[in-house]
Amino acid sequence: MKFEQWKGFKEGEYQDKIDVRGFINLNYTPYEGDKSFLAEATPRTKMVMEKVNKLLKKEMDNGGVLDVDTEKVSGLLAYDAGYIDKNLDIIVGFQTDEPLKRGVNPFGGMRMARQACEAYGYKLSDKIEENFKYSTTHNDGVFSVYTDEMRAARKVGIITGLPDAYGRGRIIGDYRRVALYGVDYLIQQKKNDKAAYGNNDMTEENIRTLEELHQQIQALNDLKGMAQKYGFDISQPAANAKEAIQWLYFGYLAAIKEQNGAAMSLGRTSTFLDIYIQRDLDNGVLTEEQAQELMDDFVIKLRLSRQLRTPEYNDLFGGDPTWTTESVGGMSLDGRTLVTKNSFRVLNTLYTLGSAPEPNLTILWSDELPDNFKKFCAQVSIDTDSIQYENDDLMRPMYGDDYAIACCVSAMQVGKQMQFFGARCNLAKLLLLTLNGGKDENMGIQVAPEGKQFKGKLDYDEVMKAFDKYNAWLSRLYINTLNVIHRMHDKYAYEKIQMALHDTEVTRFMACGVAGLSVIVDSLSAIKYAEVTPIYGESGLIEDFEIKGDFPKYGNDDDRVDAIAVDILTKFSNELKKNPTYRGSQHTLSALTITSNVVYGKKTGTTPDGRKKGEPFAPGANPMHNREVCGALASLNSVSKLPYSCCQDGISNTFSILPNALGENSDKRISNLSDMLNGYFVNGGHHLNVNVLDREKLVTAMEHPDMYPNITIRVSGYAVNFHKLSKPQQLEVLKRTYHGDM
Amino acid sequence: MEICKARIDSVYNGSAVDGKGLRCVVFFTGCNMRCGFCHNPETWTEKGNEVTLDDLVSKIRRYKSYIKNGGVTLSGGEPFLQADFCKQLIKALHAEGIDSVIIETNGLICDKDLIKQCDGVRLDVKNQDRAVDGRVLDFLRYCCESGKDVTLTNVLVPSLNDTPQKLDIIKNLKNTYPCIKELKFLAFRKLCESKYARLNLPFPYERYPEGCKSDLDRAYAYVGIR
Repeated sequence: MKFEQWKGFKEGEYQDKIDVRGFINLNYTPYEGDKSFLAEATPRTKMVMEKVNKLLKKEMDNGGVLDVDTEKVSGLLAYDAGYIDKNLDIIVGFQTDEPLKRGVNPFGGMRMARQACEAYGYKLSDKIEENFKYSTTHNDGVFSVYTDEMRAARKVGIITGLPDAYGRGRIIGDYRRVALYGVDYLIQQKKNDKAAYGNNDMTEENIRTLEELHQQIQALNDLKGMAQKYGFDISQPAANAKEAIQWLYFGYLAAIKEQNGAAMSLGRTSTFLDIYIQRDLDNGVLTEEQAQELMDDFVIKLRLSRQLRTPEYNDLFGGDPTWTTESVGGMSLDGRTLVTKNSFRVLNTLYTLGSAPEPNLTILWSDELPDNFKKFCAQVSIDTDSIQYENDDLMRPMYGDDYAIACCVSAMQVGKQMQFFGARCNLAKLLLLTLNGGKDENMGIQVAPEGKQFKGKLDYDEVMKAFDKYNAWLSRLYINTLNVIHRMHDKYAYEKIQMALHDTEVTRFMACGVAGLSVIVDSLSAIKYAEVTPIYGESGLIEDFEIKGDFPKYGNDDDRVDAIAVDILTKFSNELKKNPTYRGSQHTLSALTITSNVVYGKKTGTTPDGRKKGEPFAPGANPMHNREVCGALASLNSVSKLPYSCCQDGISNTFSILPNALGENSDKRISNLSDMLNGYFVNGGHHLNVNVLDREKLVTAMEHPDMYPNITIRVSGYAVNFHKLSKPQQLEVLKRTYHGDM
Repeated sequence: MEICKARIDSVYNGSAVDGKGLRCVVFFTGCNMRCGFCHNPETWTEKGNEVTLDDLVSKIRRYKSYIKNGGVTLSGGEPFLQADFCKQLIKALHAEGIDSVIIETNGLICDKDLIKQCDGVRLDVKNQDRAVDGRVLDFLRYCCESGKDVTLTNVLVPSLNDTPQKLDIIKNLKNTYPCIKELKFLAFRKLCESKYARLNLPFPYERYPEGCKSDLDRAYAYVGIR
């Protein structure tokens, strides 16, 4: 098979089967130079950005939501074309017929859709209410099966944030396929697969696959229809850079029209697109200014993607994130860097368009990355606080060189692997539940089987023995709950277009998670190295702890306590693996909280580490606020000890440092930050969010929002506009350790 | 051989303001001065924590991946009070491939071997309410002789030592000793007040105002830098 649109590309196996990685590997141009080639924003881009900023301000003034289309159910063909300005837009397409107008997606659950509308002063139309009376949503399905135990665990908050009322997300369609092959070829491949599976025994599994293939083919046809509304025929491959971006974006747009998953990530597209841009540059039909302009317009569209959420959802995932994560850089398996000029261009949008939290630009860091690129990334971090870093040298051996990050820290091969998002368990609460003999420390409900209550000075070995039992109990309950959720999600809210952009045979991960890691670790350290005695209240539950003596704290590169962190994660991971998963998915684990560390803390009683009832946890795998006293690098070293081998869904670390603590001038700051990142990743760290800012600036921003309207900060695996966080979330960010602030 | 030990307060990992690049800073305890602006009064007495050479080296070894463009800074307290240990430590760190070990000192103890062994000196010339000590001049002379680069630092306390007379002293040092490659004024800050309170010590310079950037700029301009 050869398309005329491939003229100028090297020939290879990608021409005979879907193989985007092979195409990239054969055709891309590594770039080791510096940023000096980059172009500035064109007058057109500036004009569009003026309009965009006005819209964003209007959205903010309107309480966070500009408009909701309550009459239609979101879908690929539900809305007419929408533009910022039809005469100015280069890359086109919005989720509804107007920018920032949100669609309603009730497939996850009707209640959530209804409440989301009401929270912003809208009412879901009678028509939708009537139609969904007769259909089962994902949420209906899940709750028809949930056991009493599952409901109780959910109620007390030992397992929370479960995707049982909205789209699970964290699936990345290989949107590049749309550009490289055109939709007709993709449909043909799926039809071939369907014919082949038709010859199998009709087991329940095979029937499910056939039905899914049918849905995928339908979705691909709808994708063509959606593009037609904008006047494009995408049945054939893209013929130039502009088309490649447009085709790819249509693929992504279809996904975010169909699904309202928490994280709807983009994948790893900039080096792929560089091949098209470079071909056009070489042919003299595109200039560098135009190339930047194309990327700018693409990124503008990505920045304006929105989902309709409830206020409770925003408590967990503050700042209205979409996790349009784009993975940039990394190394190829053959030792060449995957950094291209377009890796620079996509980062440059933070300058041409101003800093912003989305897309969630994620640098795949390798010791081998070109020095110029490392320095540019460090500079972007210092200037914008908008990007995050993940360890390519750690992930490449496991996922190859064509993986991308979904959400914050979840790696998966693009188009070949997907995950079942499993939110997280509250480990700090699990410890309190252990000490209270299986009762929730706040509500007094006997959630887990009754066990012994701990009285008098706590003995570490005894506590661990009991903890192991409850750990096994929770692991089984957790996996069972996730199995229910994902079976029902597949059944009632299947990701048709995203899975159409995957191979038919995919690897699935069951992505579990933990919260409160540093709290449980410091608590156990206190029990082991200090004297901790529970204090019981009138209710017969532990209300407080008497702590005598000092104890080593996680975050100071002290093996005595860091080993406890490794032990807890390993234990939890091992227990999870004992329980069978839906569709044979592989168990993975993350230490990631997003902004839910605030809500989890609110729901958790006083802990043996001295943290008081209701106080926030540290985010992700972070050491607890201000307990790190041996310097920034000691804190990084503690986190880098956590084993990625049992936390393959990611170990999130959010790091804030004062500009002055990073060096006295810009050059020194850049090279010191680059050294810091490099050292962390060489030592085996997985993920780092970097903020280089003064706490005072945030305090001022909190008091006078108009002074810093676009202040962006990294929280836990993503970036947010500081002003979109709730007050408690803002205060928690201020409480964090700012290294250098001693 | 006898186990080599020292008394230190702590190791701070990741300073970007104590020499070039990222550095691990070892704070030795024990000091032969009691400067009124001192930021680390907890290092005045020798008490501290006892560490062996091996322990300290293996602690620092953990940071090698970060400090390849930086190194280790020996600070305190006064490191020259534990000169023998410092010499062993520098030797061991060099053997680890850490090729930038610099010492922060008040320059009162001119241990020639230690000066020779280290990779640079940050000398804080106190120059507050009294003249520069003659021993410091010996120290500087030897640095020049042995080709050791010196960064001269001076904490500027507004109204106390930012006068033309005081600044002339600094200017003269810079002009007299070619080993002084860099001159740094540090603003007097009071962030350490809580440390004094914890130690039940009076903060001697409580009555002075903090220095700010414009004070530094003025001083640099006066001595003819920047």
